[in-house]
Amino acid sequence: MAAKILHGIPVSAGISIGRAYLLSQGHYCLAPMQSISQDLVEVETARLNQAFAQALESLQQIRKQIPREQSDHAAILDTHIMVLKDPKLRQATEHYIRDMHLNAEWALEKGVADIESSFQGIEDEYFRARVQELRLLTRRVMNQLLGNNDSIKSITSRVILIAHDLSPADTVELDVSKIMAFATAQGGRTSHVAILARTLEIPAVVGVEDLESSVSDNQFIVVDGFRGQIVIDPDETELTQYTDLKYSFEAYQKEVIRKRDLPAETRDGHRVQLHANIELFEEVSKVLDYSGDGVGLYRTEYSYLYRVELPTEQELIEEYRDLASILHPRRLVIRTLDAGGDKLGHGFEHLEEANPVLGLRAVRFCLRHQDIFKTQLRAILRASQAGNISLMFPMISGLGELREVLSVLDQTKEELAAEGLAFDAEIPVGIMIELPSAVMIADILARYVDFFSIGTNDLIQYSLGIDRTNKYVSHLYQPLHPALLRSIKRVVDAGHKAGIEVSMCGEMASDPYCLPILIGMHVDSLSLNPQSIPWIKRILRKLTMEECADLLTRILRLDSVSESNKLVRETIFKRFPDELQFHSSILEEEEE
Amino acid sequence: MNTTMTDSISKQVYIRNELGLHARPAAQIAQEAAKFSARIKLKVGTMEADAKSVLDILSLAAGRGKSITLQAEGQDAEKAIGHLERFFLDGFGES
Repeated sequence: MAAKILHGIPVSAGISIGRAYLLSQGHYCLAPMQSISQDLVEVETARLNQAFAQALESLQQIRKQIPREQSDHAAILDTHIMVLKDPKLRQATEHYIRDMHLNAEWALEKGVADIESSFQGIEDEYFRARVQELRLLTRRVMNQLLGNNDSIKSITSRVILIAHDLSPADTVELDVSKIMAFATAQGGRTSHVAILARTLEIPAVVGVEDLESSVSDNQFIVVDGFRGQIVIDPDETELTQYTDLKYSFEAYQKEVIRKRDLPAETRDGHRVQLHANIELFEEVSKVLDYSGDGVGLYRTEYSYLYRVELPTEQELIEEYRDLASILHPRRLVIRTLDAGGDKLGHGFEHLEEANPVLGLRAVRFCLRHQDIFKTQLRAILRASQAGNISLMFPMISGLGELREVLSVLDQTKEELAAEGLAFDAEIPVGIMIELPSAVMIADILARYVDFFSIGTNDLIQYSLGIDRTNKYVSHLYQPLHPALLRSIKRVVDAGHKAGIEVSMCGEMASDPYCLPILIGMHVDSLSLNPQSIPWIKRILRKLTMEECADLLTRILRLDSVSESNKLVRETIFKRFPDELQFHSSILEEEEE
Repeated sequence: MNTTMTDSISKQVYIRNELGLHARPAAQIAQEAAKFSARIKLKVGTMEADAKSVLDILSLAAGRGKSITLQAEGQDAEKAIGHLERFFLDGFGES
């Protein structure tokens, strides 16, 4: 038996076996606290200044490496550089060495704490939040003082990187050829590490409980990116099992990739579009690598979230235009901002919302902040000249809201026309169906739009009234709940009756167990993470429309989730025993 | 003229950009102010900040439409004020 098995969220498939490398992130709690004698004051002051200089130098190096297209990262780093140069910060820390006779580490800790407390009284949340970044940033100085020059850069052999979390600034320095896998204590499916790992195609598990206290440097571990486990000190038997799994997965992967260019159709010739969900510009290359038919969901929040100021119209035009031209003639579906003010961190009014998930977000937020909304719409429209862009609105709850959104869109089109600016007047407009209310009136909504995209992640949570990240109720997250299956079928049928296309862009679309049911319902296109496209294509090409329709008929007759799960599991597992050992499923594992 | 005597020069400007003196403009102001030897202050109401300190500027938490007094003392005070005023006028390069 292994010494210990830790559990987290699997975010990138694969098995990695190797030595752990713990990235020390300059934790303040490690700082030695000592009083010093008068004759050491100059020595400690010099140590502090040198630590600042080295931290500054390393940031400036990182800054140089940032490619031009990542101007938002560059802006964040510029600010960080100015903070490290800040005379106030130096004075605040030096004062503790000179006047209080504390050692450099303790002085830094006290100086930073003083500046933090000077920010406490600020009412505006945006400004108050900035000071939290100060502690993260001055960790670099602390690292220098503690002699942890173990920046990511100093990794020389291939390792499994263990960290609390990694920011874009951290990973800029990463020599990815040295990293076999990631495990982090923080994060979720869409955190920076998760996306990076999927892009690099290396295993990753995030949100691992007790990670930092359980794994020590250089320890022998296994990262299981299928089941989301970190196995510490595996025994012989476990090691053999994991090694076998690793090799068979790699062989399977090669086979899948070899056949990625074959058409996405069933054995009896039913063609399904396989699109990609992406949220970073860089991911677009993966869409082409994995032979996706286009992008079915471009999440646009990233340009707003990880920066200190709102993106300008020009910036967004360039981003959307570049994406569209890389993908051309493939389709690019751009979803408008799907977040609330809390995520934007631009000094937006701080709302006391008891339930932000049911609050001012997505189109509701956009309708309240029409300047932000219009800037984005103008950018999407102006980029749409290429002719392959579609526009999609998230979280539509009813016809009134849809009409309001469409009226802002029409207004924006008129303004552009009046300014003599070109755009695609025929740009297809769709909505995400992710609220039960939209499901119930899908037939009405279908008359106003060109396509539907079913967002199952939220639809499941809103329909069943659960938060899937809440461990007390996450077992209720059941994609095959009869209510969900009926909802999806209702939306597909309503869309097709109105002559519009229906796609699906939730995780269900990339679940091999759900695939035959969706095909049986005649969903026109599936949008999934780019890496999953060749896998799903492989399974799709082994199915027939007839067996999918038959499974759908049988499953729609069942009364309960456990019956549907059992039926699907048995039927599909029998058909694809080899493939399914490498796929995690969102279906609840039955208790043995 | 006695060079030890320096006049204090001040100028009133308004914050024109939507998000106020958020992190990026604060860093830019500190960067620009550092180019001058003059002591430069930003005053908002009863609060004042050292224009060469990004943390100080942020602690003003100055939002859009706030009036700010730029004040400088030292040999290149006039140049510094002129330079920073232009910087404020064009909304820190943000629309």
